[in-house]
Amino acid sequence: MKAQFKIVVAALAIIFASVMLPAAAQYNNFQPTKEAVQEDKLLQQLKEGDRLSGRISIPDAKAASLIQPQGQSWRDFHQNKLPTIGGVVLLGMLGALVLFFLVRGRVKIEHGFSGQTITRFASLDRFAHWMTAGCFIILALSGLNVSVGRIIILPLLGPETFAELTHLGKLAHNYLAFPFMAGVALMFLLWVKDNIPNKLDLEWIKQGGGLFSKGKHPLAERFNAGQKVVFWIVMAGGTVMSVSGWFLLFPYMAPDGVTSLQLMTTVHAVLAVGFVAAMLAHAYIGSVGMEGAFDAMGTGEVDLNWAKEHHALWVAEEQAKAAAVPRNSVPAE
Amino acid sequence: MLTKRKTATASRARLSGLAAGLASGVLDRRSFLRRSGLAAGGVAAIGSLSLGAVRKAEAGPVVAGVKSEIKKNVCTHCSVGCSVVAEVQNGVWVGQEPAFDSPINRGSHCAKGASVRELVHGDRRLKYPMKLVNGEWTRIGWDQAINEIGDKVNEIRAKSGADSVYWLGSAKFSNEGAYLFRKLGAFWGTNSIDHQARICHSTTVAGVANTWGYGAQTNSYNDIRNAKTIIFMGSNAAEAHPVSLQHVLSGKEMNRANMIVLDPRFTRTAAHATEYVRIRSGTDIAVIWGMMWHIFNNGWEDKEFIAQRVAGMDLVRAEVEKWNPEETERVTGIPSEQLKRVAETFAKQRPSTFIWCMGGTQHTVGTANVRAYCNLLLATGNVGVFGGGANIFRGHCNVQGATDMGLDITSLPLYYGLVEGAWKHWARVWEVDYDFLQARFDDVPAKSGRPARTRKENMELPGIPSTRWFDATSFNPDDVDQRDALKAMMIFGHGGNTVPRMPDMIKALEQLELLVVADPHPTTFAAISGRKNGTYLLPICTQFETDGSRTASNRSVQWGEKVVNPIFESKDDYEVIYRLASKLGFADKMFKNIKVENSRPVPEDILREINRGGWSTGYSGQSPERLKAHVRHRDKFDLVTLRAPADVPEVGGDYYGLPWPCWGKPELRHPGTHTLYNTNLHVKDGGGTFRARFGTVYEDKKADGTSKTYNMLAEGSYSKGSELTDGYPEFTFGILKKLGWDKDLTEEEVATITKIGGANPDAVGWAIDLSGGIIRVCLDHGVLPYGNAKARATAWNLPDPVPVHREPIYTPRTDLVAKYPTRPDGRQFRMMNAGFSVQKAAVEKGIAKDFPIILTSGRLVEYEGGGEETRSNKWLAELQQDMFVEINTADAASRGIADGGWVWVYGPENKSKAKVKALVTDRVGKGVAFMPFHFAGWYQGVDQRGNYPKGTDPIVLGESVNTVTTYGYDPVTGMHEGKVTLCQIQAA
Amino acid sequence: MARVKFLCDADRCIECNACVTACKNEHEVPWGINRRRVVTINDGKPGERSVSMACMHCTDAPCAAVCPVSCFYTTADAVVLHSKDLCIGCGYCFYACPFGAPQYPKVGNFGSRGKMDKCTYCAGGPEEDFSTVEFEKYGRNRLAEGKLPLCAEMCSTKSLLAGDGEMIATIYKERVMKRGYGSGAWGWKTAYKETVAI
Repeated sequence: MKAQFKIVVAALAIIFASVMLPAAAQYNNFQPTKEAVQEDKLLQQLKEGDRLSGRISIPDAKAASLIQPQGQSWRDFHQNKLPTIGGVVLLGMLGALVLFFLVRGRVKIEHGFSGQTITRFASLDRFAHWMTAGCFIILALSGLNVSVGRIIILPLLGPETFAELTHLGKLAHNYLAFPFMAGVALMFLLWVKDNIPNKLDLEWIKQGGGLFSKGKHPLAERFNAGQKVVFWIVMAGGTVMSVSGWFLLFPYMAPDGVTSLQLMTTVHAVLAVGFVAAMLAHAYIGSVGMEGAFDAMGTGEVDLNWAKEHHALWVAEEQAKAAAVPRNSVPAE
Repeated sequence: MLTKRKTATASRARLSGLAAGLASGVLDRRSFLRRSGLAAGGVAAIGSLSLGAVRKAEAGPVVAGVKSEIKKNVCTHCSVGCSVVAEVQNGVWVGQEPAFDSPINRGSHCAKGASVRELVHGDRRLKYPMKLVNGEWTRIGWDQAINEIGDKVNEIRAKSGADSVYWLGSAKFSNEGAYLFRKLGAFWGTNSIDHQARICHSTTVAGVANTWGYGAQTNSYNDIRNAKTIIFMGSNAAEAHPVSLQHVLSGKEMNRANMIVLDPRFTRTAAHATEYVRIRSGTDIAVIWGMMWHIFNNGWEDKEFIAQRVAGMDLVRAEVEKWNPEETERVTGIPSEQLKRVAETFAKQRPSTFIWCMGGTQHTVGTANVRAYCNLLLATGNVGVFGGGANIFRGHCNVQGATDMGLDITSLPLYYGLVEGAWKHWARVWEVDYDFLQARFDDVPAKSGRPARTRKENMELPGIPSTRWFDATSFNPDDVDQRDALKAMMIFGHGGNTVPRMPDMIKALEQLELLVVADPHPTTFAAISGRKNGTYLLPICTQFETDGSRTASNRSVQWGEKVVNPIFESKDDYEVIYRLASKLGFADKMFKNIKVENSRPVPEDILREINRGGWSTGYSGQSPERLKAHVRHRDKFDLVTLRAPADVPEVGGDYYGLPWPCWGKPELRHPGTHTLYNTNLHVKDGGGTFRARFGTVYEDKKADGTSKTYNMLAEGSYSKGSELTDGYPEFTFGILKKLGWDKDLTEEEVATITKIGGANPDAVGWAIDLSGGIIRVCLDHGVLPYGNAKARATAWNLPDPVPVHREPIYTPRTDLVAKYPTRPDGRQFRMMNAGFSVQKAAVEKGIAKDFPIILTSGRLVEYEGGGEETRSNKWLAELQQDMFVEINTADAASRGIADGGWVWVYGPENKSKAKVKALVTDRVGKGVAFMPFHFAGWYQGVDQRGNYPKGTDPIVLGESVNTVTTYGYDPVTGMHEGKVTLCQIQAA
Repeated sequence: MARVKFLCDADRCIECNACVTACKNEHEVPWGINRRRVVTINDGKPGERSVSMACMHCTDAPCAAVCPVSCFYTTADAVVLHSKDLCIGCGYCFYACPFGAPQYPKVGNFGSRGKMDKCTYCAGGPEEDFSTVEFEKYGRNRLAEGKLPLCAEMCSTKSLLAGDGEMIATIYKERVMKRGYGSGAWGWKTAYKETVAI
């Protein structure tokens, strides 16, 4: 029995001797104290945007980050770059609009009000628009407040009232984000088919939409190229704002912790500035900038002359439809 | 911008009531407890917060205007002995302050010590006695519990004998609790009484005591500040004994000392080493002999020290000669030039200290490992000097004390052993008849060809080690060398996940007739098996809810003051032991000399009884009064020497905590012994010699008929101021007479000695002299009562007198098994130790091919022991929420295992498996995995949370490493193999 | 008045987490909020070092700079504190903080941020010293009692130092001179725009 055992062992020994390597080979002559990491060297080696991080036992990936120098650049963005960008873009847009108004004045209906109206936006259309717009205004204001409110408003209200207001603003911002996202989605479903760019848009753009010269009205379908641009700005902007905002709403879901959140806030803020600027222009042309335009989203009924001037092809199409399927509600011609 | 200037009021302003008007919302004890009781509700409850997000205070804050009391106790976790300072208001522990005055921790704590206040919040503590009725946990009262348990053990005793009831004690007991429990075992009539030392340092105690006399840390944590070279082998003190690293790292910095870590794992301790040596698990003896090969071959040994104070080094030298650099590297994996550098540093840059823990002890060769370490220290002359020594870091807060108090299957309190003289000594101390004690034991009939045992023989035979109680339960009774198999487990303060082969343990648990768990928590024992009846849970309070002394690893004894009363319905160990003894009918005898107040024995009185009997180990001088004075004057003790200046009242000249041996009666005012065997000091200043335990000469008879005689007494070496300037044996009354020193004894002392000695008073030794006279006279003559001997490099009474390398039972290096097999099978501790057969079968079956990864285990800083208590502490549990296995980057990559992913770890026995998270790291080398041993509550992939009584489940549960660990026992102590087995790991 | 700082001597830090639980204990910090934590760099590899990190109470603190409601303030001891009454839980301080100090309880079913919580240097908050409301919002106020942060007081190896910046820099410097190595005053350049020159 014992002899057999020895044979087995000897056989195994041969097999093993050929494959075994000294287990400790990888740590030869290892002198931990001498080889300890140095903070300044690690910081020097750190690439832009990287963090000094390690291992931690608590199941919170954020906690494993020891030093994240890009907090400084985020601070710089928030303190310096964002107000500058925001100031330039928003004040620039406001200035441009004032200038435009002074130069061009209000775009009038060339042929005056006809007294006849045509349904431009049904109630569902208007609901979608105003839900989104309403949310947008509060989101924009509360967002602006968080970014620059403490410079402008805090001194006026004092810390407690301002904090209370800002907190309400934060709650509003968080909760209104959802109807805003719903509104963007609804508008997409309602209007996307009329917002596919086509050849007419090129012509419209060539003529500058007729905005800069009185009496010129390039042909347009339901939406002209300018409106299509607004539509796509809202769609793209809304989507990016929603995605970036989503991570900020649920910070614990963000991959890669603080780095992605910093990126998200930066994207969210910069885009917000552009978005607000674009919407300022949109609001201008939809209200004071153009006679008869507000009715489209106001009552939904626009003056026929306004419609013919700005959306001739659409009017024709609507009238053709009405002729094919006569209905009482269609205004007689 | 707001600004606010903080007023730096005088320290402790809030305690003196600076604003009485703020005292609203004072939390009284009752409402605090009620709240705690209601607060239990799972991890979810802790995680969720009200919307306001400003949390509600649970037990704080400290309320201004309410009187705060300061209570001083000792941390209940590891063995460093950190003082805990508690602020108490209205009976509620409201704050922890740093104990800056303690020379041991100087205010510091680790994660566990800094969170001990939570233990008496006790959200998840066992709140009242419970009983399992048809699988349902049912609340019962204390009286009912004690009555039913008492009746049941008496029934088992009548049917199967006293040895069928196992008494598993605890390193969490105070010294007084441990002593009482040992005494309870003696009065019950069995030696099957054990505690955690079995599974942590039993091999140390056996190995070290067999080398130079006492089985304890020779120096102290503080003394490491004096070292020039520090070796850690199988010790991850940074996680297991964090506060010790304060002394180690300070010493390393002040002396620019070498700190060398030899370990299979690159641990947090290794990260601070000057040199890290990665060894293969289970090759310690080969590593040490490999180092000593360089030492002997280069003449770096301390020749004078060896000649004067060491016996049998020649035989060690012969064994070492086999471990040339090639063979050492082949077996251990360490490059020879690195090992040579380490050996040279250790031998030349002295004083050098050697620190080991369970990486060295938990092996089938544990005792031999320890003896090899001792030999390295002896060969380099590093024992008995400041900055040197065997700094053995023990595990629990009172594992040293509980070991000293004899919670051990081989000994009565204070290492007297189980021989007739020992029993008679303690019978005299207890003032009971020796015959009464003997009658309590079983006689054992002849079984399976083994002879019968009388009661006396049974009384002197070691019991069953805690590592194998379940074999003694489930084996055929004929294979268990006592009257019957085990039928009942009385488990006081011991986890159920601490010993390998848990699948086997669970089967045995289900076979037991009675299971009693007396603990602050239900423990794994309560939850892991399919038991339906015959199970009792008794809520025991922590040491913060009672008082008593505890002995730190460095042998310093510290008195702990009760911080708050026991919470809920829990009781302290003293009271429960007293109630049990009453029920069993021997309380009047057992507590003859101990005052009992309202069913609670007074701990000070218990300590006085220990003092009256603890001569052998010098536990005689640490009276409660002296220990309390040490707490009062903690700030007077020196950080490095641990000694108070001579002129300090009450404690002048003492070493902190009167580290044993503290010779003679308290009135002698012996200062205690900071470093053992230190001949540079007078015995009255804590000096010492090696203990003469092994006779004066030893004749080593060789197989070839030749023999060699060794002089076992020291030659030319003696402690400072000794009147005997050579070796001498231990003292008896007869030797005093020969020297003419008997004249120095008082009449009373002589009378006591004569009474003890009866017909032969000359034979009365120093250790059983209840008058303390022999010791007193020895001290006056500058000699050690225990003699002045050589340390034994060769321990002729052990299975391997000179340690030899033996491959682990489950080794990946099956090529080495033929040359280095484990020891032959043999009967030890009443059962067969079949290690050789298991190893042989494993090799033949090719286990190493299917299970190619070495699995080792160890501690995490956040948890301790079985972990029930610490995993129930929310501040700790948050830091380690999942059981894991450390797996090397390369092994993980080849198995498709991602960091943090779930894996199955398969063990080679019982088709065992455990589902844990992977921690992919280079801390472990290729082919090595590590698992912490604190987890339980999951078994082979199944969550057992529902098995705990409601509200007592620990916050964090996980698989136990011991579900997959395997067979293997040290022949000397029954220590399990906890550090080397094989496993396979797969992504789950 | 002293300018207090933290300094973690990583050559002493053993990741024992005493600082973490001392903080939890002293201030009853709830599960999931980690005012202090220990991170191990190069875990298991040559060069491994652990560093205990919390709010460093920066000079020109980025959190204060970006807070939309200006809820931060600096005490005369240079401790950076904040008012939970003003905090709106926006997360900006977390983006700007180089050390990951700001913590937020998860609120609501979706887990958005509650009011920020962070290390107070054991200095309480804007409420009255030693009041119950101060404890419930910010924890105990050791500084006002003339004591230092408990994390540093209880550090197992005296790795984490707290107190007057110049004093702890001197202690660290002496250690490095004595032992001949030092991995740096972690976070000092980032927090205080200075380092301990050896």
